[in-house]
Amino acid sequence: MKEPSVSVKNLTKSFAGRRVVDGLSFDVQKGEVFALLGHNGAGKSTTIDLILGLKAPEAGSAEILGMDAAKHRKQVFERVGVQLQHTQYQPNITVEEACIEYASLYAAPADYPRLLEQFGLDALRKSFVSKLSGGERQKLSVVLALIGKPEFVFLDELTTGLDVVARREVWRTLKQLKQQGLTIFLTTHYMEEAEALCDRVCIIKSGKKVAEGTIGEVVAASGQSNLEEAYLFFMGEEELL
Amino acid sequence: MKRFWSMYRVEQKIFFRSPDVILFCLAMPLVVFVAITVITGGKSAADSELTYLQSAYVALSTVGICCSAFMSIPITIVECRSQGILRRMYCSPCSPARLLACDTICSGVVAALSTLILTVAAVVVFGYRMPGNVFAYIAVWLLTMISMFSIGLMVASLCRTTKSMNVATSLLYFPMLLFSGATIPAEVFPKGFQTAAKLMPLGVGIDLLKSVSMGCYDKIVMPVVVLTAIAAICGTVAVKTFRWE
Repeated sequence: MKEPSVSVKNLTKSFAGRRVVDGLSFDVQKGEVFALLGHNGAGKSTTIDLILGLKAPEAGSAEILGMDAAKHRKQVFERVGVQLQHTQYQPNITVEEACIEYASLYAAPADYPRLLEQFGLDALRKSFVSKLSGGERQKLSVVLALIGKPEFVFLDELTTGLDVVARREVWRTLKQLKQQGLTIFLTTHYMEEAEALCDRVCIIKSGKKVAEGTIGEVVAASGQSNLEEAYLFFMGEEELL
Repeated sequence: MKRFWSMYRVEQKIFFRSPDVILFCLAMPLVVFVAITVITGGKSAADSELTYLQSAYVALSTVGICCSAFMSIPITIVECRSQGILRRMYCSPCSPARLLACDTICSGVVAALSTLILTVAAVVVFGYRMPGNVFAYIAVWLLTMISMFSIGLMVASLCRTTKSMNVATSLLYFPMLLFSGATIPAEVFPKGFQTAAKLMPLGVGIDLLKSVSMGCYDKIVMPVVVLTAIAAICGTVAVKTFRWE
């Protein structure tokens, strides 16, 4: 059997007595685009933190490429790229310098001028990161996630704050990357984004899984007509119980 | 090593873009030095054996250290932490410690550059010649720098928030800058005040540097021990209590 790229089993984490991630289990297969969906505070970012080894789980386990990220940090992150929410940059750093700095973290980094070109940022090389628009900064954080030539990438709410055109550009690039064999784990608040990009999704509510499967499966299970309706259905259903 | 170097170069460039560094580390000591020397240069500083020129050169050669240790280092580290830069660096095959090492080296280079500018002005323009051994002076200057930097690193480790760090750095930076004899010559202070100045960590360093600059090596054991102890203790606390998040 093919080994999953990410394997989450019964993952649990509380903060101040509140269960943020509650017995969560799912697998992400190699080469697929997988989305973790849920409302604000549903536990998406905490789940990513647990998978990346940034936080320690209370119970359960999370393996990435067959390894525990907290124990094998170097090996894991040589192959895994991340884009975290709310990452800022040093004041007075330019786009190019940020690329040089992040490239210096890897043994065999990607060619950053090509990546900048791919994301339409090549004209902004000498610009200060602090002067970029929200969308440009988001795109830069995706470039920096890809700079280590990863085979797996985490993108936490990557298109939040992007305008429609910029979002479509990012989608197109992600689709190209997927064709090249990149496995993508993302979180998003936009259901049309999940529909456009993802092979499978997992919907969580208050840290618990409420639905998982291909877009078609999730929509069918809800008896609704599209993912957005299905999402609302699963969110509401829980409240009725 | 090549990878460390490319990160260091970027960080050093960023350092020189900061107006505080240019103003406080590089320009301010030079301006104060010129002012003191022009006004009182050849006179002997109060009841010490040094002239004001000799005293001011030594004292102001530590201003770069003071600015780097009590401003640049804690501010850079706490900002990198609070803005999630260290957290992001953690998610790479490299340790966030590399960024911190680069930044600490950058601060050291700025402190050295500050002293170098001052030295050129003192030697070329004002004809300063150090009576003591220059290499011994460089050695104790480096010891003073390491010792002060360890205090700065400890502050960065202990302060969890930008706010508490601002309070801590202000409490360290301004008293040491003004009252340890680094900018205002300690010789003009009243006696009691002078004793207090000599008890400040930077004051210990300045006192030691003055002795060495004059070629007096008979009283240097105690301050060397004190500075080494500060470096060892604060350095250990900094490493033990460090959090990247």
